This record gives sequence, structure tokens and C-alpha cells, in this order.
Amino acid sequence: MTATSATFRALRRRWLGAPLLALAALGSAWAATPIPAGPLVSTEWLAQNLDNARLRLIEVSVNPGVYERAHIPGAVNFSWHNDLNDKVRRDIVGKEAFEALLSKAGVGPDTTVVLYGDTNNWFAAWGAWVFDIYGVKDVKLLDGGRKKWEAENRAQDNRAPSFASTAYKVARTSPELRARLADALAAAEGRNGARLVDIRSADEYSGKVFAPPGVPELAIRAGHIPSAVNVPWGQAVQADGTFKTPEELKKVYGAVGIDGSKPIITYCRIGERSSHTWFALKKLLGYDVRNYDGSWTEYGNAVGVPIDNPSGTVWAAK
Amino acid sequence: MTLQQPHFVLLPAAVLAVAATLAQRQDGAPTLLFALAAGTALGLALQRARFCFYCHARDWFGQRDPRGLLAIVLALAVGLLGYTVVLGGWMPVATGGGLPPDMHIGPVSWVLALAGLVFGAGMVVSGSCISAHWYRLAEGSPVAPFALAGTALGFVAGFLTWNPLYSLAVADAPVVWLPHYLGHGGALLLQLGVLAALAAWLWRGFAVQASAPAAPAGVPPLGAAWRRLWRGRWSYWTGGLAVGLIGAFAIVRMKPLGVTATLGSAARAQAQAWDWIPLRLDGLDGFAGCATAPAQGAWAPHALLLLGLVAGAFIGALASRQFAPRWPRPGDAARGLAGGVLLGWGAMTGLGCTIGTLLSGIMAGALSGWVFGASMFFAIWAGLRLQARARRAAASA
Repeated sequence: MTATSATFRALRRRWLGAPLLALAALGSAWAATPIPAGPLVSTEWLAQNLDNARLRLIEVSVNPGVYERAHIPGAVNFSWHNDLNDKVRRDIVGKEAFEALLSKAGVGPDTTVVLYGDTNNWFAAWGAWVFDIYGVKDVKLLDGGRKKWEAENRAQDNRAPSFASTAYKVARTSPELRARLADALAAAEGRNGARLVDIRSADEYSGKVFAPPGVPELAIRAGHIPSAVNVPWGQAVQADGTFKTPEELKKVYGAVGIDGSKPIITYCRIGERSSHTWFALKKLLGYDVRNYDGSWTEYGNAVGVPIDNPSGTVWAAK
Repeated sequence: MTLQQPHFVLLPAAVLAVAATLAQRQDGAPTLLFALAAGTALGLALQRARFCFYCHARDWFGQRDPRGLLAIVLALAVGLLGYTVVLGGWMPVATGGGLPPDMHIGPVSWVLALAGLVFGAGMVVSGSCISAHWYRLAEGSPVAPFALAGTALGFVAGFLTWNPLYSLAVADAPVVWLPHYLGHGGALLLQLGVLAALAAWLWRGFAVQASAPAAPAGVPPLGAAWRRLWRGRWSYWTGGLAVGLIGAFAIVRMKPLGVTATLGSAARAQAQAWDWIPLRLDGLDGFAGCATAPAQGAWAPHALLLLGLVAGAFIGALASRQFAPRWPRPGDAARGLAGGVLLGWGAMTGLGCTIGTLLSGIMAGALSGWVFGASMFFAIWAGLRLQARARRAAASA
């Protein structure tokens, strides 16, 4: 290939490419781009696709009043403890109530649900886990959540949208995404081959403290489930709150022997933060992962189960 | 007093500028800056219009001057309209169950009525409610610092009695949000109706008042209009309008107005550190109201609201040469401390004061706001009668 022909081809590419690019840019202004295939959407993509009728944006924040004051335009509000939890039993919302919730939000069988929320998407990720248990087809997280959307100074409003109701039906449930106390205990005793990932802070894991600062001590034993490895949830994200790349995630979890070769159980204090790690391991890396939503507030209070408490702290002892 | 020179307004203005600059670097800076600005506007309005619940009540009960209480009615009506617009968007179907987040809708029981009575008594003894003591700091009041210290002590007393009262009555008390029963429109109409009836009743006071001197005809030049802002007091209704508007704006950008959260949470943290009060206060942090749960650092919106309020009041007082500090006498200290303790106990037990429970409650359509307000005004009426009787007895003795 001569230098002249290469230059000519580059020139032609530029001449042809420029109008095509311009057309594409123009097109994206009024025609939504296709919904990305993966489990995440970027703030940038969302900002350009807010009016996509196939999309249902749902905020799941932990702090009350956050959604009401300002939210991403068009987002529906699901309260994690009034809507997605059973109000009486310690359990996720029941099937009928979940169907009613999604019907009211206008979610149909072809809707793509994008969840986002405050505090680094913890509760949005927990929402995604609940949605997955109820087999909602196409659930995604807004990468970086509210925090990134706000940091980028993107538009918000405070109007609650209303959508035509649907008659949403849960076709199948996936209880296998959920670990129970018996599963955690079996993992602790090496009976089911599962690996436990404790995503709480190092001080909670070691038993120095019973609960993170500002949070009531709801377990009367400190420490962790025997055999669990400690990878605080924050290690799964970058400084801007977005998830690390799959390669980086593999490195982080591979360093403590979590490589997907064995089934995994994630847990934290009440099962919300661990959903964030569940999301990273299950949805981004495709590992076999269950979230143990009973978490330390169940295990640390259970009678007769083995625990590991390197700090040797005793509850209520001075 | 040299500090009365108007150019000393530069001092509080500088404090505000520094606070704003620092706030800009914190997490949640937009909310913090809003809180500081809203507080400044509120402090200025309270001071310039003498928006003081106790003074307004005394003007009515003592001299049948209705202008102050009418200003409170106006504040409530304006705020109620604003809240209804906002909350109607937050919870389009109010009758569906659940409460709007953060709104000061508290449990209604005899404990709340008692809190209102004690708070009212504290106003009579100390000569103001808590918000007015904050702005009176800027007028050099010799009582206000003692009253605020007493309020902190009263909060501690409130924390001490909270758990038994909670078990006795508060835990089972209904939390009544009027729109839940009547819808947004129905609750608005009912409450505006009550406010209109109150206004009509108060209006009778004008009949016994000497007619006010007629305002000079014509429009004053701009310079004269500006100078008039910093002379005497603004008309009563301007205070009511400002308070109502700021109250409604507040819920859009921060939590409802309240001026005891900062003092209450500081008192609670200190008292818990000293082991004076129980570490667990049953159910307290689950109620909406002036929260006393330990704040997340000094940069809480309500701390900046309060800073703005005091600085705004100083700007108003200095610019109008109304900063007149006087060395406190023992009587001032005793009156302030004793009244303050009553104010603090009432505000803690009632989950807020005239601002947090009465204003922010009624504006939100909370029955608790009405109950607190009614018992508080009753206590002021009774307290003033007792005071007058005691004075007559002393004079005839």
C-alpha cells in the first residue's frame, strides 16, 4: 500500500464519516438509542433516553424524602421498607403485593426496569435482587446511582409521574437467589461447599464493633460467620461510585479465593449492602451467588451457631 | 452604645459569608446554602416584624390588639397553601395510607396537650418562645441567653421523662394527618375555614382599637422607602407572609422549619455522654418532628438554618439600631432559666416548638400542630391572667 492511497483512504473516511456521525448525533436527539444489553446503564445513556417508553426508571432510596424533593425525571418511587419489604414479617414483599406494585408503576412484560438510589445504590441493588427473585425480565442498575447523577449536575424534577396501569403477573420466582440461615450455617461448617463473602467493614468483621457508627447494635454477638472472607462492599466500586470493570472485580475477589468455581453467599448486617456485592458477582461476573438477607442480624443472634470473633468482644460487658 | 452603629451589620454579614464559603465545600452543599439563606431571611423577618408568638398573644389577650395573631393566622394560611401544593405532588392520593416523608405530623395524646401547656407557661415566664429568644439575642436581650441555656436543661428533663410517657400514652397515640381522612382539598378547606373563622373573631379587636393614623398619601421616594425598612418595625402582616412563604419553600429544599433540632440534639449528645439520660429513648427517633437524633456533624441543614436566623436577626437589629444590650439582673437570669426549662421540656415532649410543631405541623395538616397550638395559647391566656392577678394583689397589699 502506498502512502498516497492510505492518505486518500483516510481522507475519504473522514469525509464520509463526518456526515454519518452528525446524522447519528442528530438521530439520538429524538430517537432513543437501543437499550444496552448488560446489567448496567450509564448516566450518560440514561440522560439521552429518559423518554424511552420501554424504559421504567424506579428509585429505591433508603432516606425518606429524597425522591420527593428531586429525582431523575420520570422516575417512580419504591419505598424499600413500605413497598419492597413485608410490613409485618421479616421478609421481602409478597408476590401479590409485588405484582400490584409493578402494575401500578406500569411495568409490562416488555419493560426494561432501571433501578437507582441513594447511598451508592445499596438499596437499589437490593431492589434488583428482589426483582430478580420475582423473575422480572430485564432489570438494570444505573451505574453510580443518584450520587453520580447529582455529581454530574444532571437534570432532576420533583413531579411524580403516573403511568397507565398494567396487570403484571410474576411468571416464575427464583428462590435460589436467596440464602437462608441453614445455608449460611452449612457453609460455615463446610457442608455445602459454598464460599461466604462478608462485605461489612473490617471492624465489624473482626468483632471490634457490633454495628457500624450511627447504627443500633441489633446483634448480640460480634464477629463473622466462620470461613467467611472480608471484602468490604466499597472495593467493588471506583471513586465515582460506578462498578469496577469485570477484570478488576475478578482481581479483587480472586485475591481472597472467590473465583466463581464454588457457589457464593454474600451477607452484611441486614442484607442490603451485600446485595450490591451480590450484583457485582452475579450480574457482572456471572458467578453462582445467593444473597443472605438474614445476614448478621439473624446469624449473630442465632443460638448455638458457631461464630468467629477474633476481637473477643462480649456484648453488654464493660 | 457604639455597637448600635448600622455599619456593624458587616459583622453578621461576614459570618454569613464565611459560613457560606465553608458550606460550599461540604457534602450536600446546595441544601446547606439554601438552609443558610432561608434562615437569614427568616431571622431578618422575625426581627424586623417582631414575629413573636408570645408578644402577639399578649397584645391580643392584654390589649385586644389582633394584628399579631392575625399575622400568625396569615403565616399558617400561606404555609398551608404552599404545603398543600407540594405535598399534593409528593402524595397525589393522600387517602391511600402512609405519611408524607419528613413532615412534622406527631402523635396526638394528652402528653402533647401537656407539652403545649408547659411550653406556653414557659413563654409567659421567660417572655418569649424559643424562636423569639434566638432572634432576641440579636436585640441584646438580657433574658434570651439564660432562656436558651434553660431550654437545653429542659430538653434534658424531657429526655428523662420521655420513656415513661412514651409507654404511658405516646406509643399508642394516633398520628393524625388530616389529608389522609379528607383528601388534600378537604383538609385545605377545613383548615382554611378554621383560620378564616379565627381571623373573623380576631377582627373584632379592631373595633376596640383606636384607628391607626392614616398613611401619608402618595408613593415615597426610593431612598425614603429604603430607610423606612430600617426604622421601627415592619407591619405585622409582612412577618406572617414571610414566615408562611419560607415555611413552604423549606419543605421543597430541606426538611420542615424547626429551630430546636440543633439545641435538642446537642443537649441530648452531651447528656448522654455524661450518662444523665437513657441511651435509648423509646420510639423517639421514629417520629417526625424536630429530630434530636445525633446530627451527622456540624454541617446539618438545621444548624445552618439557625446560624442564618441569628445572623439575619443581627443584621435586622443592627441596621435598625435595635441592638440594645443590657447587663442581666438576677431576675432576668432566674426568669430566663426557669422559663427556659419549661420551654425545653415542652418542646422536647411536643417534638418541636412554635415553629417545628405549631407552624410546620399545621401547615402539613397535622392534628398535632393544632392540639399543641391550642393548649399553648390556653396556657398563655391563663398565665397572663394569673400574672395580672398577682400584680393586682401586690399593688393592693
